[in-house]
Amino acid sequence: MPNPKKKFSKIYDKYVEQIYRFVFLKVNSQEVAQDLVSETFLRCWGAFRNKKDIKNPRAFLYQIARNLVIDYYREKGKVVMVSADSTPLVDPREGLEEKTNKNLELERIKNCLTSLKEEYQNAIIWYYLEGLPVSEIAHLLGKNEGATRVLISRALRALKEKISEA
Amino acid sequence: MTEKEIISKIEQLRQIKPEKEWVALTKERILGTEPKVKWLGLFDYQLKPILAGALMALIVFGLFSVSQNSLPGDTLYPIKKISEKGQAIFVSKNEEPKVKLEWVNKRLEELKEVALKNETKKLPTALKETENALAEAAKGLVKSENIAQKEVVEKAKEMIVKKEEIEKTLGVEIGGKEEENLTKTLAEKLIDDLENRNLTKEQKEVLEKAEEDFENGKYQEALLKVLELSYNNE
Repeated sequence: MPNPKKKFSKIYDKYVEQIYRFVFLKVNSQEVAQDLVSETFLRCWGAFRNKKDIKNPRAFLYQIARNLVIDYYREKGKVVMVSADSTPLVDPREGLEEKTNKNLELERIKNCLTSLKEEYQNAIIWYYLEGLPVSEIAHLLGKNEGATRVLISRALRALKEKISEA
Repeated sequence: MTEKEIISKIEQLRQIKPEKEWVALTKERILGTEPKVKWLGLFDYQLKPILAGALMALIVFGLFSVSQNSLPGDTLYPIKKISEKGQAIFVSKNEEPKVKLEWVNKRLEELKEVALKNETKKLPTALKETENALAEAAKGLVKSENIAQKEVVEKAKEMIVKKEEIEKTLGVEIGGKEEENLTKTLAEKLIDDLENRNLTKEQKEVLEKAEEDFENGKYQEALLKVLELSYNNE
């Protein structure tokens, strides 16, 4: 049996950025995103230690993260706030802030994306941003592949409309 | 903006990345939640109490072993005493006088060591321990039916020699009343025993002198005589 610590370490390295992006886009706060992502991986590690059979670690992580984001808003009675002057998209040390115009455009996309309904947000993030196969998205959404393709298409159209309105 | 351009912009959101330090620290923190004593994980959980018990036994055994060289006033000295008492549980009534005298000799040895090392702070405790051992030995001997055993006689002789040696070193009398009680009891019991034995004319004369010393309160002289007699009479 492979060492669970080693196995988890590989999964962490592979998916931490994806999960962070997913959570950050939803909570719009670096601090909250860090807390929720830590909790996501901690729960995943707990499952590993308990020898839970995790067939698709990425789907497992997204599922935990999704539930944590829902809990976060439920507990705090918060609504998803989208603000142009909210938390910068990336770590300021990454240097993106210096590219002001580009950043503003990305902020606009991000704001429009996060204003969509949750199902559309997830479909766009998973398909266009993270490049997940339709079959995996279908699994995550609990839909068949055909319905998922339709959903992705509708989500992109909805985003386009939001951008043109903004 | 075309759909293609939107998709391109979405892809640029991949620049959203967590801080590298945070990524490393979080991983470390999560994996650090694993039980630290990893080797225990090699065994079945049911074995852990047994291992813990074995470890505890090992520690206790180690403490008992180390404590054997301790002196009165040392931290480990009470453990040495406990181990002695523990051993005494398995001693028969017949062997009790020998064991009690052995303890007296041990206390005298310790006292000698304290004196030789000039550990003045430990001296009062060492003297007190010796007195206690003498008192306990006297108490045990009073109850004992048979003290006229070769080993008891040898231990008693050893005790007198050691005591005199330490008294010379320290320049003080050791034991006081406790020592007198023990000497008196030993002498009395050995005299009684010798009176019931077949002795030669010379031996009878020595015994009479011992009895005389005893009557005059010279218990140590009486004891020395009967010890010599008892030893030779074996």
